Amino acid sequence: MQYYRNFCIIAHIDHGKSTIADGLLEFTHTISEREAKEQLLDSLDLERERGITIKSHAIQMKYIASDKQDYTLNLIDTPGHVDFSYEVSRSLAACEGAILVVDAAQGVEAQTISNLYMAIDAGLEIIPVINKIDLPSAMVDSVKHQIIDLIGCKDEDIILASAKQRIGIEQILETIVRKIPPPIGDEKAPLQALIFDSVFDSYRGAIAYIRLVNGTIKEKEEITFFAHRKKYLAEEIGTLRLGRIKTGELQAGNVGYLIAGVKELRDTKVGDTVTHVRHGAEKPLPGYKDIKPMVFSGLYPTDTDDYEDLRDALEKYRLNDSALSYVPETSAALGFGFRCGFLGMLHMEIVQERLEREFDQSIVTTLPNVEYWVYTKKGERVIVDNPAEMPPQADIDRVEEPFVKAQIVTPSEYVGNLMQLAMDKRGLYKNTTYLDPTRADLEFEFPLSEIIFDFYDKLKSISRGYASFDYEFIGYRESDLVKIDIILNGDKVDALSIIVHEKKSYHWGLKVCSKLKELIPRQMFEVAIQAAIGTKVISRTNIKALRKNVLAKCYGGDITRKRKLLEKQKEGKKRMKQVGNIEIPQEAFLAVLQIED
Amino acid sequence: MNETAIYIHIPFCDHKCIYCDFYSIINYDNVSSYLASLKTEINYYSKKFSNDRKIISIFFGGGTPSYMEPQYIQQIIDIVKENFFVADEAEITLETNPGTVDKEKLIEFKKSGINRISIGVQSFDDDELKFLTRIHNSETAVKTVRDSFESGIENISLDLIFNLPKQSKQKWLSNLEKAVALPIKHLSAYSLILEPGTILNKMVMDGKVKMQSEEHDADLYEMTIDFLTQNGYEQYEVSNFAKPGYQCIHNIAYWEYNDYIGFGTSAHSFVNGERWWNYSSLNFYNAAVKAKYNAVCGSEKLTDKQKLEEYVMLSLRSEGLDIDALKNRFDLNWFAENQKLITQLIEEKYLILTDSFLKLTPKGYAVCDEILTKIVNRD
Repeated sequence: MQYYRNFCIIAHIDHGKSTIADGLLEFTHTISEREAKEQLLDSLDLERERGITIKSHAIQMKYIASDKQDYTLNLIDTPGHVDFSYEVSRSLAACEGAILVVDAAQGVEAQTISNLYMAIDAGLEIIPVINKIDLPSAMVDSVKHQIIDLIGCKDEDIILASAKQRIGIEQILETIVRKIPPPIGDEKAPLQALIFDSVFDSYRGAIAYIRLVNGTIKEKEEITFFAHRKKYLAEEIGTLRLGRIKTGELQAGNVGYLIAGVKELRDTKVGDTVTHVRHGAEKPLPGYKDIKPMVFSGLYPTDTDDYEDLRDALEKYRLNDSALSYVPETSAALGFGFRCGFLGMLHMEIVQERLEREFDQSIVTTLPNVEYWVYTKKGERVIVDNPAEMPPQADIDRVEEPFVKAQIVTPSEYVGNLMQLAMDKRGLYKNTTYLDPTRADLEFEFPLSEIIFDFYDKLKSISRGYASFDYEFIGYRESDLVKIDIILNGDKVDALSIIVHEKKSYHWGLKVCSKLKELIPRQMFEVAIQAAIGTKVISRTNIKALRKNVLAKCYGGDITRKRKLLEKQKEGKKRMKQVGNIEIPQEAFLAVLQIED
Repeated sequence: MNETAIYIHIPFCDHKCIYCDFYSIINYDNVSSYLASLKTEINYYSKKFSNDRKIISIFFGGGTPSYMEPQYIQQIIDIVKENFFVADEAEITLETNPGTVDKEKLIEFKKSGINRISIGVQSFDDDELKFLTRIHNSETAVKTVRDSFESGIENISLDLIFNLPKQSKQKWLSNLEKAVALPIKHLSAYSLILEPGTILNKMVMDGKVKMQSEEHDADLYEMTIDFLTQNGYEQYEVSNFAKPGYQCIHNIAYWEYNDYIGFGTSAHSFVNGERWWNYSSLNFYNAAVKAKYNAVCGSEKLTDKQKLEEYVMLSLRSEGLDIDALKNRFDLNWFAENQKLITQLIEEKYLILTDSFLKLTPKGYAVCDEILTKIVNRD
């Protein structure tokens, strides 16, 4: 066990996590240079496009160090986005050390800090690396200072690297071997294996990626999972290189995979502990959490007849993404659909995009919202994840909403404007730390609902892209919240209801009305748009009836052209959702997203 | 006898107007080779289609057909008559632009067989004409109408364009007043359309010209219908108005789904449920005719669904949809299937149903395409 090293790489997006990983894999001859060209750790198309890793994997390397010893290095990849912070924490729990990669031109970012703190909390040995030192814009000294301030290391502890030029790779490997402690565990103790990731394979079922903490696991043994206690036979066990390498067993300290005929991904939950049925461990490893979705939205088929198709697509999709939750719901306006729960906005976008791209679904999405805890005057607590289901205002005693602690790292010249943004978003200022004279680390508390929509985009535009942002859930707090209903020609459109802070309600009512006026095309009759809180109308406007839509000329018998124009108009209509007799374009359901404060 | 219309395209123009996206060329040198091609093409199709067909209309469209020497028009009409059975009472129309004809030339056109004239006046306001880059002024326009009348071609139609940038209601009304004061039988009033590729389109995109609002466009259109109806013109299509008995036979052939054959560059044909269209470019057209005696550039055989849709579209755009005739022609109960929507449209006063005849109201004509996309929205 003393020759095992388990580690991960912590980096902000684009700071070079993947290229560092490739460098290590190539240097240890785990993969060839050609294979390294495709950044292996990101495998989904979507992830590659967005340059983010969504699902973490692991890969094992063999390395003969300068002490002539043979080492087994397990690199465990971590997801790089705040939506997946629980998964990050489990990946970290599977390691003894972490390589902290900071871009020499960009410096320390919010995500670096939040993941770093998680790693320090998990007791990991940190190896700081400044990457991309070959860039003309590299500010090596200044970034060194930021890192020293952050983790209190010595100047000479920081490795200078350029993964692209393969500079510093060997030094990183040597440092891993020298500084990261070997795993501590007992091969003879009852089995405790941490699931730090799992994927679904259509032939083999759920495949769990595990870190053996104590004991030994062998094929044909009867195993179980603490979260649900269902029993399975370990069918195949092995380690991970480019693919799965069957080894038949794994011992404490090592990292690998487990296939046990588990039919559903949700039965191999990240953070759960695997043990033996007989002589199993008494307790699971600490830290298991049933992760809960934070953001909710209605998903409806554009064409009501496609409900079954959408259900099938969601079912298939969920095989690969146990974080998505959904239950059927009906909307008076949109018909049959699903209320879906997501880890965050990015997760929501990924699900939508994959449903449309890979499953060919045309969907209408309602405005995302958080989960509210509504206490009624009768003393009951009602959980509201769909604004339409908010109890009547008169029955409500108080409403609580989720709050998060947020970290914003920014060049100091943008502090003023970012403060203003935070205030607009009902942020509570906590404190400021200067990482160096030019970089500030601001801490706030926000209602989650205020930062799920456009906060990130605004932050980026205010800071010309330099500020970065990360957050974690801290709990529910009471807020003065009201539900705004949108009424079109006298009928409440439930799918357009939103819950907002009372102070912002008039402003929002006004803005939503005018945005809808802009997005809903003129119809053959006038459409009255109203925003109301309870029975009180707070804003109104109307869309005048369409008065002219006719092509004046059918020239020279060119009926084909005329027909094609009509067909084009018809296609446009198909993308609209018919609510009563009003045709509403899909994007109108997200109208509020486009509203400027 | 199958009643068939003939369209003949004359692509030659003096220059290109800013709003025009039709195929035209401003070089007159090619006229004789074009005439030769037309002859070949007419001859070719007569062999295919002349049996059992009666030609009820010949329409010279352009371009600027009146730019041609009358002898050429004469030659073309003669060739058509040699190759097809042309009814004695056939309507023979020449599109004419003010500034390209005088009384003498018009008399020659009448001699060649032209009995209806469609004059591209567009406006009676000199500033508007200048904006449209027409070669004539208001005075020439009036004179062309009078010359035509005096030359003996009394079946006169005018084209006017409304909703020009900055055009006020008053200005448009005065255009209409000037038009009906003249001895005309028919009037086409088109709302200015921005066609991609036109000079006007570029001017709008560059912000040099601003198009008017939909409201204003609708107001002008309503005004047009009211004014012309009060002055004895019946609306028989979205943009067309005529004194009783003077509806354009050629237009009606298109809208009543009758057969028509088009000759010349970019001409369209519709025979036995098949559509085809010719090359637009003069060189391609000439070369194609030389090689294969026709110049078909593309064609389509309509599906039953497309035929039904076109039929409904063309009927509703013009004088209305005869539900019984539709049922006989397509053997289905279209009306029953759409009843709910149609009832609603009748209640909203977009449609009128008399006996089994469904017709757009003036308010309905204005949103004809919107109604069609709803009505013909069945898959």
